[in-house]
Amino acid sequence: MLVIRNLTKQFYQRNEEITVVDNLSLTVKKGQVFGLIGPNGAGKTTTVKLVAGLLFPGKGKISIGGFPAGTLEAKRKIGFMNENPQFYYHLKAREVMEFVADLFEIEKTVATKKIDVLLKEVGLKDAKELAVRKFSKGMHQRLAFAVAQINNPELLILDEPLDGLDPLGRLDFKQMILKLKKSGATIFFSSHILSDVEEICDEVAILHKGKIIAQGSPKDLVKSSKQSLEELFVRSIRNA
Amino acid sequence: MRKVLWAITLNTFRETLRDKLLYSLVGFAVLVIAASLLAGSVSLGQDARVIQDFSLTAMLAFLLIITYFIGTQLVFKEVERKTIYLVLSKPVSRETFYLGKFLGLCLTILVAGLIMAVMFVIVLFAKTHSVPTAAYFAAGAVILEAWLLTAVSLLFSSFTSPLSSAIYTFGVTLIGHGSATVWLLSQKASPVIRTILEGVYYIFPNLEKFNLRNDVVFNLTPSASQVGLILLYFATYTVFLLILGVAVFRKDEF
Ligand SMILES: Nc1ncnc2c1ncn2[C@@H]1O[C@H](COP(=O)(O)OP(=O)(O)OP(=O)(O)O)[C@@H](O)[C@H]1O
Ligand SMILES: [Mg+2]
Repeated sequence: MLVIRNLTKQFYQRNEEITVVDNLSLTVKKGQVFGLIGPNGAGKTTTVKLVAGLLFPGKGKISIGGFPAGTLEAKRKIGFMNENPQFYYHLKAREVMEFVADLFEIEKTVATKKIDVLLKEVGLKDAKELAVRKFSKGMHQRLAFAVAQINNPELLILDEPLDGLDPLGRLDFKQMILKLKKSGATIFFSSHILSDVEEICDEVAILHKGKIIAQGSPKDLVKSSKQSLEELFVRSIRNA
Repeated sequence: MRKVLWAITLNTFRETLRDKLLYSLVGFAVLVIAASLLAGSVSLGQDARVIQDFSLTAMLAFLLIITYFIGTQLVFKEVERKTIYLVLSKPVSRETFYLGKFLGLCLTILVAGLIMAVMFVIVLFAKTHSVPTAAYFAAGAVILEAWLLTAVSLLFSSFTSPLSSAIYTFGVTLIGHGSATVWLLSQKASPVIRTILEGVYYIFPNLEKFNLRNDVVFNLTPSASQVGLILLYFATYTVFLLILGVAVFRKDEF
């Protein structure tokens, strides 16, 4: 579903070139939940933005269901939830969803039904007609999760979907992701919270300074290294 | 593609309607145009002339202020509030996004311009009991000029900050209205300066082409070919600016 090959991305900071994503390769298979974990500044958001077509690769290739990232065909297949999502202040939750539905050219009657279902699912049924500028952080997150699913995406890309949620919210989100997983969705998400990843993912990759330093199913990683995922995370980053 | 473009256009239009600055500017413009009634009564026999010249100039000035302040912020705000991630991660091309932003503000300017024009016509009618056809054409040309400068402001803002873009767009306005002067200067200058000034003359839009204020004063209705030429000039220039802007914006990263 998602194939990344030798992806490299550099930025300029104070006239100095820094490599943020360094020759990264990974594959997310259909129906898989793939977790990209790493400390702050590891390059998770950069990788995710490259997949969503917001940044252009320096070197390497990204293909989504056979189409290069950034093309309209590729973007049609994905649902994307960015880090700290925000929306147009002048719109209500429903209007945000309708706007995005228009961007996917979804037919009005189909969209209206889908919007109701999704808003209910993420627990924003009562906030449907509320202006998003009045939303709390958690509500923004919930709306973003609903927006990302409006097109029944083949690949759901979530950047820190659980960030800033309270324990109940986290539980809620994890259950929603697990439900999607059961229904066969392919999910690629980033996080720096290990316990979340452990519970949800079929496969994880630990990213550090733009490089994958460990990869496998959470169970295998724990078994082969004889340490908890957290210990493995800390140790592999220290040793890298 | 048409549905997507329209969605972005309409969303941009609605967003500008939330800008309090817009209301102050339109309100102030309407007041200023109304005030030309007073100015008109000072100069005997020249009422119509003063009202027309004053109102149309005020209309242009206020529409351009909208362009400078809102046009240069259009894309910047989307980046600042991260809403650009929401849009560009969807099946929306950079071209469609850019064009939608442009058309959205053009719609705002059209509505603001029409409100001002209505006030202008009311004032003119109140004073002289007649409104020459030329007045409508002149008001239309003012809106065209504001649209063209919106394309300029969007082009600048695709590679520099809103403040710089506003200053550059203002610069283009000044040079664009001084085209004739630039040409005269170039003909008297030394060869090197002459080439530069001639370059400026040809590259910058000649905004005086959109100035039909004298025609109104003498009640000369522009001919069809004159209107056609103005529209052609506007369209050619604006399309060129949009193509240039998209070429820059295509490579922008967020
Ligand atoms: N547009 C940019 N220009 C320059 N440097 C950038 C840019 N975007 C990101 N970086 C740098 O790239 C590195 C990785 O950033 P990124 O946002 O991908 O990290 P992350 O893994 O998502 O971190 P976090 O967990 O804090 O969200 C950081 O050092 C950051 O400063
Ligand atoms: Mg990040």
